[in-house]
Amino acid sequence: MTTTTEVGAEDAAGGTPERPPFRDPAWWGMLARTGFGAGFWGFFAFAIAAGVACYAVIGHAAFIGALWADVGLLVRMAPRIAAALMVAGLLWVMLPRDRVTALIGAESGMRGLVIAAFAGMVTPGGPSSAFALLAVLAGSGADRGALIAYISSWAILGLQRVLVWDVPFMGAEFSVLRIVVCLPLPIIAGLIARRLPLTVRFADAGRETGR
Amino acid sequence: MISIGVLFLAAVAGVLALMAWRHGERAFERGMQRAAEQAAHLIPRMVCALIAASFIAKLMPSELIARYLGTDAGLSAILVGTAAGLILPAGPVIAFAVAATFARADASVPALVAFITSWALFAAHRVFMYEIPLLGPSFSRLRLTSVAILPLLAGLIAFAAGWFVTLAQPGHL
Repeated sequence: MTTTTEVGAEDAAGGTPERPPFRDPAWWGMLARTGFGAGFWGFFAFAIAAGVACYAVIGHAAFIGALWADVGLLVRMAPRIAAALMVAGLLWVMLPRDRVTALIGAESGMRGLVIAAFAGMVTPGGPSSAFALLAVLAGSGADRGALIAYISSWAILGLQRVLVWDVPFMGAEFSVLRIVVCLPLPIIAGLIARRLPLTVRFADAGRETGR
Repeated sequence: MISIGVLFLAAVAGVLALMAWRHGERAFERGMQRAAEQAAHLIPRMVCALIAASFIAKLMPSELIARYLGTDAGLSAILVGTAAGLILPAGPVIAFAVAATFARADASVPALVAFITSWALFAAHRVFMYEIPLLGPSFSRLRLTSVAILPLLAGLIAFAAGWFVTLAQPGHL
């Protein structure tokens, strides 16, 4: 774990590793621009539009009720998101990239897709941790098919979700049927993703993968 | 609210922080820097997307849709289930409550499988809250194209499975 990480971790940090960023005002300015850049205002306008439509349809009291429910939800989500981002950030620095590439990289073939799908099934937690982990894998040499297989598997087959939501709401019989029916789907999605002629440009660091 | 899930995540974060500390090379500080940069990108967008999603979920006509999911609707129920999952921008609380509403309205099993698969894969709030901020729109495009046929496929496999089960033991699914 110690010798293999050093090379990968260095280029992973991207910026200037010598300067402590937390004391650099330019870094804080960069954070503010990242958070409230052009993309943010699209989201903001969307929320306003949905709010106006909702206000018109369900009325004042229900509108305020929905807003308060959102506040409660955000407060409950806050510790989860903080912990998930911390885990993802630390993994990002320490994950041995060459080993990730060997396991689920472009040359990993069918085995890589199966490993990725299995990992998605057993990844606990909600979207904050799953997508943060996906971003780490994307930057660590995982191939696009494996990324798609991983997140699809987490979404449809995630065991924690099945136990907490499927079984209580839909019954064990239906849940088992649904899992068996959906078992091959993440691998199929991964195979499709490997063949699609789409270019992917990841959100940060501008890494491109043509494959 | 402190749940088991959060405690587990916090424990993992603690172990990783300790490992980073012993790893040296300012690994801990670099990890926290990465986390802060991702948080700055994620959180403002996420809050907007969450608010928008909750409003849209309020506008969804789930009672109306349930009428088109019955067993007699056959294969077209799978299509309606897929479409319903596609437009439901909500977390599991609402999604499974809606699924239970559908089940009570006698929705067919393949339609329910298609609905849950479609919601799990397409849940628009997740795309806008997490996927686009953390991975970028071109990744979302690749993923949505790759998984586009999956809900229909799931519904069809469930349809075929139900057919075989009915053949094997009449009157019992």
